[in-house]
Amino acid sequence: MGDKCGAHTFPYFDISNSTATVEHEATTSKISEEIMFYCKSRGISQEDAVALIVNGYAKEVLNQLPMEFAVEAQKLLAISLEGSVG
Amino acid sequence: MLSIKNLRASIHGKEILKGINLEVKAGEVHAIMGPNGSGKSTLASVLAGKEGYDVTSGEVIYKGKNLFDYSPEDRAREGIFLAFQYPVEIPGVSTTNFLKTAINEKRKYLGQQPLSSVDFLKMLKAKAKFVELDTEMTSRAVNVGFSGGEKKRNEIFQLAMMNPDLSILDETDSGLDIDALRIVAEGVNKLKTKDNAFVIITHYQRLLNYIVPDYVHVLSDGQIVTSGGKELALKLEELGYDWVEDLADAK
Repeated sequence: MGDKCGAHTFPYFDISNSTATVEHEATTSKISEEIMFYCKSRGISQEDAVALIVNGYAKEVLNQLPMEFAVEAQKLLAISLEGSVG
Repeated sequence: MLSIKNLRASIHGKEILKGINLEVKAGEVHAIMGPNGSGKSTLASVLAGKEGYDVTSGEVIYKGKNLFDYSPEDRAREGIFLAFQYPVEIPGVSTTNFLKTAINEKRKYLGQQPLSSVDFLKMLKAKAKFVELDTEMTSRAVNVGFSGGEKKRNEIFQLAMMNPDLSILDETDSGLDIDALRIVAEGVNKLKTKDNAFVIITHYQRLLNYIVPDYVHVLSDGQIVTSGGKELALKLEELGYDWVEDLADAK
């Protein structure tokens, strides 16, 4: 679309639950370097560390889904994580 | 096993390690002591491969190879383990799952078959008992909501599970009450064999009441200013770090 345009999103949440951990799809949150180094120092590659952490994050929701969706969702998660860093 | 020669390293352009020399052989326990800011943790970080440190000169040979040719994860798979001073929390990832991934990546690297879930769980139970860790802890997310002592005990548990050749303990004793200190020390004593080695970084002498080192090195301002046997730790405790600074100045 040319180099004169841009996308601007304004992530906004109104949260009343003080225990929630939330990320907006319009923001990219990076797994902290501290956590990443901890995983690496145990021999876990960057890609597997990301998969572990993102799956862990999404697990509670995925577990609630009916079986056929859960399997699908896990596969999708695995695909989208391949080669993506940060 | 490990040979450090004239190692110099800096962070953000500031030189922290100013020529470290150290030889560690299999079966040995080395203690590295020194005041705050002497470079103890930097040494541990450089060996484990943490980003942000520039090695400006010198070399580190591990098992006959240049350590700096390995990525941090490959160093772990080659048998180096760093027990963290401040273990990080990993929400959503159980210690069991974390360790299973770690162990199977190491096995894959070494050309071995992955452990079956049954074998893994057997090992997990045995090692948890070994370091007196409640197995219930292993099903919780890594270090999340753990007390300081529990985190350190979890480090020793991970050490037992990974079965490394060279273990580096970075101030594992800080923040431990006397019971936790004893369990960590006993864990190390039980895990010690003639084929592995330990480098124990500590600020206080008290851990060395429980783990008897073969060698004690005193680090000051990025250099090892004196080395000796276990009696050196006692002398240090008695005379304090001022004495070390005098030594460094004399040098």
